[in-house]
Amino acid sequence: MSTTPHPDPTDLTPRHVSALLQDTTPWLSCEECFERMDTYAEAVVRDPAHTDEAMAAHLRGCAACDEEAQSLVQLLAAQ
Amino acid sequence: MTAVSRDEQRSTTPESPPRTEAVGPTDWVARLGGGGPEQAVALRELHELMLRAAAHQVWRMRPALPDPSPAAVEVIVNQAADEAMTALLGKLHTFEGRSRFTTWAFKFAILQAATEVRRLQWQHREVELRDLDVPIAPTHEGPELYAEGKDLAAAVAAAMHRVLTPYQRRIAIALLVDGVPIDVLADRLGTNRGALYKTLHDVRVRLRAELTANGYLAGRRASSPARTSAASTPRVSPTHTAGTP
Ligand SMILES: [Zn+2]
Repeated sequence: MSTTPHPDPTDLTPRHVSALLQDTTPWLSCEECFERMDTYAEAVVRDPAHTDEAMAAHLRGCAACDEEAQSLVQLLAAQ
Repeated sequence: MTAVSRDEQRSTTPESPPRTEAVGPTDWVARLGGGGPEQAVALRELHELMLRAAAHQVWRMRPALPDPSPAAVEVIVNQAADEAMTALLGKLHTFEGRSRFTTWAFKFAILQAATEVRRLQWQHREVELRDLDVPIAPTHEGPELYAEGKDLAAAVAAAMHRVLTPYQRRIAIALLVDGVPIDVLADRLGTNRGALYKTLHDVRVRLRAELTANGYLAGRRASSPARTSAASTPRVSPTHTAGTP
């Protein structure tokens, strides 16, 4: 497999390593995450200890969905 | 944070309970889908919901904006609310009433507003799809020769060369090392968030399998890695760096 050498060597910091090795199983797609986000956010607001394994795995691994889910929880909690 | 204080203000406003909550979920769908003056009222109320959620989102991400002035925020909020409303109306028939309608509506505005802020944040920035250029660590030496931390990084880099395709490496580096937001990258590549996340998921599965086989990670049962605390950091939330490498 051919790789294109880059002039600036990439230093993988512990944070990068952690992100690369994030366990994102069980699998949940961004589309399914969006579908569940409303019921998930309501459940979290009702009970902060609420867990949804697949949802949690997705949010650990997908920064954009995570931001949006946190935001929705915050918005609901503020009402 | 500004968003919080705005929400706090809202929630402490007397008679805050949104009148929308008094309307049942199916009523919303019926009113929005019906015709006449009732529909016009429902559309106006829905637009207010979208504005509220879009404002919440944009204020939350405001520091990321190239122009964070209230006037610029207002423009983004209005545009996101309009687009989110169109998206929602196109999916109205899919609403099943499993959550409150308002919650369901909010998520469309939040998605639209967040995506728009990230787009603006990266509007004038190049997205480079680069490969990893880290010396490939010899595999036969075994984990005991690696010190913690830096050498795990070397092991990960080596695994990336061994088990990932160049495309997978470039996507992983752009998203997780360079901090390019997933929807910005999707936009530049003409794909979508879901497809890139799938690539990322495959990358992680392959890397974890390889590093588990080499003794760097514990097996599936123990979710924390065997040799390092790096990957056991409970939450890697590139969100907080979203777009800011
Ligand atoms: Zn996602």
